Amino acid sequence: MLKVTDLHASVGDKEILRGINLEVKAGEVHAIMGPNGSGKSTLASVLAGNDKFTVTSGSVTFEGEDMLSMSVEERAHKGMFLGFQYPVEIPGVTMANFMKLAVNERRKAEGKEPLTAAEFLRLMREKSAVVELDAKMTSRAVNEGFSGGEKKKNEIFQMAMLDPKLAVLDETDSGLDIDALRIVATGVTRLHTPQNATVVITHYQRLLDYIVPDVVHVLYKGRIIYSGDKSLALKLEKEGYDWLINDYKE
Amino acid sequence: MDVTKLVEQGLFQLFEGVRVDDGTDLSKPLLVLNPKSPVVEVTTTERVSLALLCTDSVSSKVTLRLAPQAKCSVALLCLGRGVLALDVEQGAESESRITTALLSDATLSYNVRLLGERAASEFDGLYIATGNDHCSVSLNVRHEVAECKSRSMIKGVAAGTATGEFRGLVYVAKDAQRTDAEQQNRNIELDRSHIVALPQLEIYADDVRCSHGSTVGRADEEAVFYMRQRGLSEADARRLLLEGFVQEVAQACDVAHICRMMAEEIDKRLLTI
Amino acid sequence: MKEREEDILKKLESSEYEYGFTSDIETETLPKGLNEGIIRLISQKKGEPEWMLESRLKAFRHWQKMPLPTWAHLQIPEIDFQDIIYYAEPKPRKKLSSVDEIDPELKRTFDKLGIPLEEQMALAGVAVDAVIDSVSVKTTFRETLAEKGIIFCSISEAVREYPDLVRKYLGSVVSYADNFYAALNAAVFSDGSFCYIPKGVRCPMELSTYFRINAEGTGQFERTLIVADEGAYVSYLEGCTAPRRDENQLHAAVVEIVVERDAEVKYSTVQNWYPGDKDGKGGIYNFVTKRGICHENARLSWTQVETGSAITWKYPSCVLAGDNSVGEFYSVAMTNNYQQADTGTKMIHLGRNTRSRIVSKGISAGHSENSYRGLVKIAPKAENARNFSQCDSLLIGDKCGAHTFPHIDSRNRSAMLEHEATTSKISDEQLFYCRQRGVSTEDAVGLIVNGYAREVLAKLPMEFAVEAQKLLSLSLEGSVG
Repeated sequence: MLKVTDLHASVGDKEILRGINLEVKAGEVHAIMGPNGSGKSTLASVLAGNDKFTVTSGSVTFEGEDMLSMSVEERAHKGMFLGFQYPVEIPGVTMANFMKLAVNERRKAEGKEPLTAAEFLRLMREKSAVVELDAKMTSRAVNEGFSGGEKKKNEIFQMAMLDPKLAVLDETDSGLDIDALRIVATGVTRLHTPQNATVVITHYQRLLDYIVPDVVHVLYKGRIIYSGDKSLALKLEKEGYDWLINDYKE
Repeated sequence: MDVTKLVEQGLFQLFEGVRVDDGTDLSKPLLVLNPKSPVVEVTTTERVSLALLCTDSVSSKVTLRLAPQAKCSVALLCLGRGVLALDVEQGAESESRITTALLSDATLSYNVRLLGERAASEFDGLYIATGNDHCSVSLNVRHEVAECKSRSMIKGVAAGTATGEFRGLVYVAKDAQRTDAEQQNRNIELDRSHIVALPQLEIYADDVRCSHGSTVGRADEEAVFYMRQRGLSEADARRLLLEGFVQEVAQACDVAHICRMMAEEIDKRLLTI
Repeated sequence: MKEREEDILKKLESSEYEYGFTSDIETETLPKGLNEGIIRLISQKKGEPEWMLESRLKAFRHWQKMPLPTWAHLQIPEIDFQDIIYYAEPKPRKKLSSVDEIDPELKRTFDKLGIPLEEQMALAGVAVDAVIDSVSVKTTFRETLAEKGIIFCSISEAVREYPDLVRKYLGSVVSYADNFYAALNAAVFSDGSFCYIPKGVRCPMELSTYFRINAEGTGQFERTLIVADEGAYVSYLEGCTAPRRDENQLHAAVVEIVVERDAEVKYSTVQNWYPGDKDGKGGIYNFVTKRGICHENARLSWTQVETGSAITWKYPSCVLAGDNSVGEFYSVAMTNNYQQADTGTKMIHLGRNTRSRIVSKGISAGHSENSYRGLVKIAPKAENARNFSQCDSLLIGDKCGAHTFPHIDSRNRSAMLEHEATTSKISDEQLFYCRQRGVSTEDAVGLIVNGYAREVLAKLPMEFAVEAQKLLSLSLEGSVG
């Protein structure tokens, strides 16, 4: 589904991704771990098409298509979803309005008719249950005045609404208490099917108790230096990264 | 807009008096249409809702005096050209909540004097200047005595070759200790328009919490990216952000019925951009 | 606790101005008053060429027609411009054997101010131009600098010896018609510094000018011109003091800075003119025009610590003419007793991708009035201009005022401008916390004020930062509540 080959990206003069190789197939869950500043969030941003970063070389294909030449919203229409580490507050724009436009733009790109108001409301109600989201939240402005936990739940709710093929969740677990973590993680798991794929970027093993990965990657200094199965996450939790990164220190 | 219809439908009651006291019927918001220079005194402690609607060209000065503990919500919707002044004098522990939308080539000056202790003032204002307009909002909040509170937010949008101007002052008199005052101004500059902002603080008491801020700029680029990631086109994202920016003012309005009119008129005005 | 605070307040008021002494220097002065004859005499004393005299007279004629500026938040007593001595020069007691020799009394004066005029005694890496009243008495390290092609001398000398450079740049940033005091300065300016950094040269030491008013009844009208040619860099410092006197003295200076393509200039001021006594008697009127122009990719950074003067009227500004140029303004302005300050900056964005940053920290104590006034202007062609302004005020005591008067004017939709300001006092909790840890209220206030000003102080060169910190605590002594 997603194939990243020798991807290099920089911000200003500073190279942050230095040759990423990653392949994610339908039905898989990948976890990307690594110490602070290793480039995890940059990778997520680059996949989503944030022009703050410049791709200097390498390729990214999504279902066989060159993704790097697509705009941010085209990638979204193709089914790429980024769960933001810091979901942005959008004052004055209600969740309902925002989601209606997002869902219908996606449908338009797929050549489908827009949802009627009634169909849309039904969809909202149905999906808000996935993350135990208070229905009242949909009349509030996007992320504005939301607690940390509400913002992250809201990301997963939007993911449910948009039904992506590939979801990249950037530190979705950060700043969550144990209850919110359970709700968010359960939501992600419920949305997972053999047809879609999930990439979870995380610092902590605890999220992976709920979202069980098929592959765990360690990102360090802009490269994936090690990949293993779910036991790798446990080992990292216990022993830290030193045993892995010593060889890569400059 | 057919205002007489609104009155006939029983949504408002036309108000032409000068006193709002315990005998006044407050079951529906009071409506003053195209005011000249009324002086309204509120002596009741019931919450009063007052709608000021300017559909014609006007040159008016509305004076509002709030007796101690009076509570008054005011919504001012200005669709005609002209010069408007709104002077509010507040007694002790009184509360004013004012929402204004200036949707025409007009000038509004709003002066509030907090004359009694623990008086509170809240203000949300919007102007949208298009074409060749010169819209100007000036806001002078005077803390004359101790322990009063004021909060204001003025938003401006200028498009075309219009000029949008904001002049704000928070004045804190010498003995107005424990004042809590905040004044914020946000402007969006489009096309070839011109924005002027002069937010000012003049403070003569030390035990105060005063702040102001003013920004000029385009939409929040992070928000645009976020919305595009969810599949919105860039143009839609910007339009939605602009709508959200201006509609927050109507959302702050708590005078029944007029808030909906305000939201509709704001939408109409946006279409001219 | 209340009583204690009042005690401290009293003490603060009575704190002494450290540099208030008068030097016993014989001074030769021109008669009081201002007319064309006086201007001709000043020009003659300086041995100026004809074009300089003409330019002075033109400014004088214009000045006579100009009104006094009244827009500042200041109460300025009427100034009798005919009651001021426009030129005073120290007269050596004995015949000096060489040009390089300095009158011992002058040397003692500068030693007392902590500005040694011998190069071997000087602070490492700082070249000084010492100006007393209307003349520059010594410029150190000139030879060392000349090796790199850097010119650092008094403006009087520059007029005589580098007329082409002076003619090209003098008045190019601040025209004589700019404002009342700039016109006055252009007519009667006496001395000041000139510095020219050639293309691609990084000035190896800090350049500084120390201004001292000594003579009675005089005004000081210095003129400084700094030119950083393409790719050059210089850091420039300015310090000033004056004796304690009951009368007010006028200081109307002009500083012009030209920052050519890819060049960078840092200009730092620690202004400590005599502020007047605790009842507001005496003190310097400090009416100064400072402005720089930045060409492509150039950078100009103003840092000022303003603690002195009875009245300060001063807006160091940047004209960001070239694309990608950067202007910065960092200011701490402290007023105590009956001092008044109206100070800030102007950032004029003309070029594309120009950026500016303003950080202003006002501190008012006693009966003083302290205002920030700023203009950020974005011209129609200044695509992608950015400004950030943070203007905070701290009030100490309930008899002073703190005001913020920013002006934003944008004519380009791609501009992003942000202004924030807060006003507060030192909280009782902060004071209590410090005192609980054994720090006296007075020291605690000093600490808190220095912490509050830290962002600005950090921009000063090291030696100056220490000095400025001391000055802030000292100026506050006895003002605390």
